[in-house]
Amino acid sequence: MSDLRLTVNGGEHVLDVPVGTSLAEILRDQLGLTGTKIACNEGHCGACTVQIDGVPQLSCITLAHAVDGEVTTIEGLREHPLVEAFVRADAVQCGYCTPGQVVSAAALVAANPQPTREQIRHAMAGNICRCGTYPKIEEAILSWQG
Amino acid sequence: MELLRPSSVEELDGGLLVHGGTEVVPLLREGLLEAERLVDVRGVVPRGVDGGVIGAGTTLAELEVEPAIPDALREASRLAASPQLRSMGSLGGNLLQATRCWYWRLGYDCRLHGGDRCHAQDGEHREHAIFANDFCASAHPSDVAAALVALGARVRTNLRELAVEELYRLPDEGNRSTTTLEDGELLLEIELPPAGASVYLKAMDRKRWAFPQVGVAVARHEDGSTRIALAGVAPIPWRIESVDDLDAATPLPRTEWKVPLARALVRRALAALA
Amino acid sequence: MARLIRTEKEVEGRFEEVWIVVEEDPLEQWPEGQLAVVGRPAPRKDGPERVRGEARYTADLRLSGMLQAAVLRSPHAHAKVRRIDLAPALALPGVRAAIGPGEAHGLEEEAGFAGAAVAAVAADTFAQARAAVEAIDVEWEELEVVLDPDDAVKREQLTAEPRTYERGEVDKAFADADVVVEGTYRTQTVLHNSMETHQAICEWQGDTLHVYISTQFIWGIRQAVAQTLELPEDKVRVVCEFMGGGFGSKNGPDEYTYVAAELAKRTGLPVRCALTRREENTSAGNRNATIQRLRAGARSDGTIVAFEGEFTNSVGWSGWNASTEGPMRMLYDCENVRTVTYGAKLNTPPMKAFRAPGFVEGTFGLECLIDELAAKLEVDPLELRRRNYAASNEGTPFSSKNLEDCYRMAEPHWERRHEVHSRSDAVWKRGVGMASQIWYGGGGPPSYAWVRLGSDGRATVITAMQDIGTGTRTAMAQIAAEELGIPLEHVEVALGDSARGPYASISAGSSTLPSMGPAVRAAAADAREQVEDIAEQRGLPKDTPLQEIVAVLEESQILGKGARGPNPTGMSVLTFGVHVVEVAVDVETGGVNVERVAAIHDVGRIINPLGASSQVEGGVIQGIGHTLSEERLLDPETGRILTTSLDSYRMPTIADVPEIICEFVDRPDEHLTNLGSKGLGEPPIVPIAAAIANAIRDATGAEVHELPISREEMLRALREAEERAREKEKRGAPAAV
Repeated sequence: MSDLRLTVNGGEHVLDVPVGTSLAEILRDQLGLTGTKIACNEGHCGACTVQIDGVPQLSCITLAHAVDGEVTTIEGLREHPLVEAFVRADAVQCGYCTPGQVVSAAALVAANPQPTREQIRHAMAGNICRCGTYPKIEEAILSWQG
Repeated sequence: MELLRPSSVEELDGGLLVHGGTEVVPLLREGLLEAERLVDVRGVVPRGVDGGVIGAGTTLAELEVEPAIPDALREASRLAASPQLRSMGSLGGNLLQATRCWYWRLGYDCRLHGGDRCHAQDGEHREHAIFANDFCASAHPSDVAAALVALGARVRTNLRELAVEELYRLPDEGNRSTTTLEDGELLLEIELPPAGASVYLKAMDRKRWAFPQVGVAVARHEDGSTRIALAGVAPIPWRIESVDDLDAATPLPRTEWKVPLARALVRRALAALA
Repeated sequence: MARLIRTEKEVEGRFEEVWIVVEEDPLEQWPEGQLAVVGRPAPRKDGPERVRGEARYTADLRLSGMLQAAVLRSPHAHAKVRRIDLAPALALPGVRAAIGPGEAHGLEEEAGFAGAAVAAVAADTFAQARAAVEAIDVEWEELEVVLDPDDAVKREQLTAEPRTYERGEVDKAFADADVVVEGTYRTQTVLHNSMETHQAICEWQGDTLHVYISTQFIWGIRQAVAQTLELPEDKVRVVCEFMGGGFGSKNGPDEYTYVAAELAKRTGLPVRCALTRREENTSAGNRNATIQRLRAGARSDGTIVAFEGEFTNSVGWSGWNASTEGPMRMLYDCENVRTVTYGAKLNTPPMKAFRAPGFVEGTFGLECLIDELAAKLEVDPLELRRRNYAASNEGTPFSSKNLEDCYRMAEPHWERRHEVHSRSDAVWKRGVGMASQIWYGGGGPPSYAWVRLGSDGRATVITAMQDIGTGTRTAMAQIAAEELGIPLEHVEVALGDSARGPYASISAGSSTLPSMGPAVRAAAADAREQVEDIAEQRGLPKDTPLQEIVAVLEESQILGKGARGPNPTGMSVLTFGVHVVEVAVDVETGGVNVERVAAIHDVGRIINPLGASSQVEGGVIQGIGHTLSEERLLDPETGRILTTSLDSYRMPTIADVPEIICEFVDRPDEHLTNLGSKGLGEPPIVPIAAAIANAIRDATGAEVHELPISREEMLRALREAEERAREKEKRGAPAAV
């Protein structure tokens, strides 16, 4: 077991978990933040995307003990205008990939508030959606400022 | 398992080196790598671009938007992997990544795992090599490796300094490794010679987030020479002298399609630089 | 008045006869067109919770003391367990129970495919369970492996008797035909890969089993589990509030539910059994591969006179023989048709229903064949389809068929092909292709709903259905709001718990809306009638707002109930559509870009145009995946799956999406229920592959006969087209364009 300090959504946590535990497991199992989903557990699908110091990363292959920086999960982005934009645009079907999509999108619009379709497609290509909600996700990001 | 986080090369003392973890963590989880001690080298490996020197810890996401590097390297970075993986993965790590060959990744007792056969040759090999594939038919998946080989880059490790293509070797009966790295050897910096024009073209089977079916890097050099290097066609990044070298490809029955694909991309890349 | 009747019901192309109790269905359909709520775009009622990550899926549930299970799966494509010793597993830390073959339904001694479940362990953590599974001492007796479907057919190793069909005089018709085309088409094995893997949590409370499961059929799980475990059905409670995709793969309990139930029984603790993504890619079902040997004969005036097809479905170790021949039988007016369909029993993971099973595969073969026929006849592909329009389903009238309207709406998209051709250059060839769609619709009884109305004028629709992400919760709310005459914001929908509502149909076979929707409307109408009674008693005018009428109720409630009525008798309920697709083909590299898809569908009345367009886009995109890049590969030597992860099994990303134009005929099926909605979940995935292949042929002359259309297949087809052109030139005829 090893002492672990994590700042998640602005709150500090001290945990005692073995080295090798992924950040996704910590978030979901230790902190009860199940908004971040594990869909493949090997870094291929993006459902587990969180931000570390604002940069989208795959929490399922991030060693919790190697996290440097502040973690932002979907729970920390609840009030982001993108949430309403996604709902308005119907950019959600089964919803399992959606938190990851929002986290990636939030990072995109933070750096680039008015991305083009090309830029959206490039930045969001790591978030797989099996339901095929992509066109609406693109619309949501284009219209996020209301 | 313990995780050490040294801050200097001198502190290194064995263990499994990990940087971004995008390769090592999944391999550990699948049992393809085993370690009691993990060594996070992000405090040791330089990061950032300074003239023609790139820290091996620079992420692909950083290279993707770096104006001061050759086009081929920037484009190879831009088209690699997914946005999240580009933010997590380092240049050095990408150079050292293992093949995507499913037999290797599923732990079949193949040549790269020390066994005595290449399962792909008689098996499912449609994504595999068209060169140097008689011992092992795996394909090298790194876009940036091909770009750096074409650019004539040199690599500095904690032990030596070498041309980037010397980082790689074809596996053989006596040694199954595809890299020449020694135990405890760590990539530190990549140095680029003064660059002429360069280009990287990549064929995938979906528009983004896929390994190269064929990737072609071409760079012109100050001495007027043109270097061509391919990803996805051999167990290691593969240099050819001209498009005609593709006539000497030795495809497997289901990798024949890669030859005309490579031919077309090499021609286009050369034309782009003309 | 309650009536007991026998009626035919179809799900995923399979028909069965069932007894049902029906109430009269006296409600008239609403008039065509946009209404106060129905027919207007409505964002999802559960959108906020899904988007914010607040919705709890089965994967997110944590029950006190819950254990994790891991499953031992056969590494061999065909083997028997000769000896198994669970003791080494039980000795490991954290392990609480272990079970072997026969100790839970689905754990078998004979493994018929690599990935078949054999044993399972429950432990405190998943890592411990996995380690324990690896420690199980098992000795296998390897058996003969059959992987090739043609080989299986030759050996008569089939999952059922071959299905044959014949009408008319096929041989004579072919002999008399002016033009005959034939070809062999192949489709690959496709994996559902829903984002939430298959999983269940089982917990016993007393002698009641609580099953939390990611499922498309709450009531089916309840029934199956009760039957298998020999429990009264009301001792099984099934819960599924949110689930992360199914596409047909989550219609049954499979083995993981029974594993969880048995381990929960033995340990006295809740047990989760969840498939990993690797297991999802191997053992969770698939759309089976097909080989289709097809022939079509026509007169020179374009009348199709004969169809013949031999269909070989690679069903796998078990499963059912999907109706790949369905489109050939049903889509066109042809008097002479003969089909035989084999279900090859192979040592590969069993197929499962996947979004229009059989018809997706069969439409690829048939609609490509039709275009090849059109080329040979020198008839425009749209014209050929119109000329052979089927006015009935082999004599049975359609409850509604607006395919001609779809064709008419397709015309402006089809017209674009001249302009599209003009944008071709030496490297990029551009073309336009089309394909028609036919599929089963209408759902069926039984399904029930209750509507609870309080003095605040707000209604709750109470169901025990599931919403698998198709937006049914919102559509039900719209239906109830429309019927009650209240705003959509005043309607809530309860779903997801078999203890908390009446029977609801499966969410598969495009059947949720056409099955549950009418029940919801009937329940709302029942409540509305009671409200009107109250208004009358209070002496209030008929147009008094509902909220005012019920304001006096205080704690009293109005409870409405409704049931899905029977399907129209003596009619076929089918959906129709057409896709017109524009592609660009890089003829040097074999790359295919899908640039534009016009998807035009006749699915009866559209309840929520916003949700409906998402279904269409989703189906199109999923179809692009199986057309261009998805394929489950297996090792020919061992029969093991090689594409077990999402880097090797490649589904479309956002970067792969074309421009998608979605159009509906939006005309209620006047014979079908009080709604006239036929169901939209599957139609959009049916014709896309053929439309893309036909566009490729239009662009380049190349005939692709195989899915996925990889660069390998594209380059092959281009080379073959080149050879054909050269042959033609040699023979002195002008080269085909």
